[in-house]
Amino acid sequence: MANLKDIQRKIKSVSSTQKTTRAMKLVSTAKLRRAEELAKRSRLFAQKTNAMIAELANQIECMKIGGIENRAFNEVETPKMVDIIFVTADKGLCGGFNMQTIKAVRKLMAEFKDDKVKVRLRGIGKKGIEYFTYNQVEMLDKVIGLSSAPDMNRAAEFIGASIQDFKDEKIDGVYVIYNGYMNVITQELHVNRIMPVDTSDFDCGDSTKGSLLEIEAEDSEKMLDALITKYAEYNMYYALIDSVAAEHSARMQAMDAATNNAGEMKKKLTVQFNKARQEAITTELIEIISGVESMK
Amino acid sequence: MDTFKLEVITPNGAIFDGDAVEVTLPGEEGEFGVLPHHASLTTLLKAGVVDIVTVDKRTESIVVNWGVVQVTENKVTVLVDGAVAIRGEDESDIAKVLEDAKKLLDDVSESNMALASVSAKVESAAHKLI
Repeated sequence: MANLKDIQRKIKSVSSTQKTTRAMKLVSTAKLRRAEELAKRSRLFAQKTNAMIAELANQIECMKIGGIENRAFNEVETPKMVDIIFVTADKGLCGGFNMQTIKAVRKLMAEFKDDKVKVRLRGIGKKGIEYFTYNQVEMLDKVIGLSSAPDMNRAAEFIGASIQDFKDEKIDGVYVIYNGYMNVITQELHVNRIMPVDTSDFDCGDSTKGSLLEIEAEDSEKMLDALITKYAEYNMYYALIDSVAAEHSARMQAMDAATNNAGEMKKKLTVQFNKARQEAITTELIEIISGVESMK
Repeated sequence: MDTFKLEVITPNGAIFDGDAVEVTLPGEEGEFGVLPHHASLTTLLKAGVVDIVTVDKRTESIVVNWGVVQVTENKVTVLVDGAVAIRGEDESDIAKVLEDAKKLLDDVSESNMALASVSAKVESAAHKLI
């Protein structure tokens, strides 16, 4: 039989754990609201950029024989080397949030390995970096602190290196993997191909009726180039803010589950405690009664 | 009065979204103004100040560090990277905004001349507010 004091101590410890998890959940809820708001506002920029790129690309395609020369729009037949950028959280205690991303990275890496494509791994977020370091997977870049505080300039700088290598034909593709926010209870894993640009994303229907833009061909090539860079930078930034929102929602969920579990555990322990107490009383009573009996 | 719809959008959301009667933009090859029914055009912007005249004849200035603008008949969309709107309630607000704007420009400007001319413009816009 468990000791009364032991059980009491356990109940106390579970209660204090519950307090912590409940507080963490509240913190995440507040942070999630802010992150979600930012992500929502930010999506407008993506819409406009995509529309503009689609329009420009369409136009150049119409004007020029042989289509667009820009490397970003042409599929690479036999890629030799690609960049994979992953985004995880800097902190744990958020359920399977980081692990999902890591698994997706491993899967993609395995696929490339089968196709004999070399992979350069670039990491954002402490948890993912720790995992790959432990498993002795080489990483080209390790950035900690960016995923918890997204910043457009730093994001641009980070992806800029990959884009430059892509333009210089050192690499043949750039992928970004992150766990994004869907709603408060679900996260959605994204594996985005940034380069070459996946044109199927763009809403072309809208742009065909597009205005007759007065631009010269050379200008539009230049503009397209600038827009593509922005597009990549923005996508990186969006991956970060989306990931933050998802991280908070995942943590909220995990902490909610932990609080509930602690509550259940407390209930069980209380029942155990009561049983033990009753048992003790019963034994005492029996002792007294049998003592009285023997005195008769 | 003729107006057109103007949107100034940053990666963190829209910084201006409303009707305007005139807008002056720092185009890559020089400053240009847009009035309603302007011919369609798409072009790049360099670091500078976007001056907007709103429907109620107020002037609003937004400092940008890079951008693309798309002008269609009755709509102007400006996509920018970083932007600071020169507006504020009191002097301390405006001073803070000015500092932000200068920081934004410091990061991109390639020549001191360009920086100085833009800074001068920003300050004069700010002084009008006070």
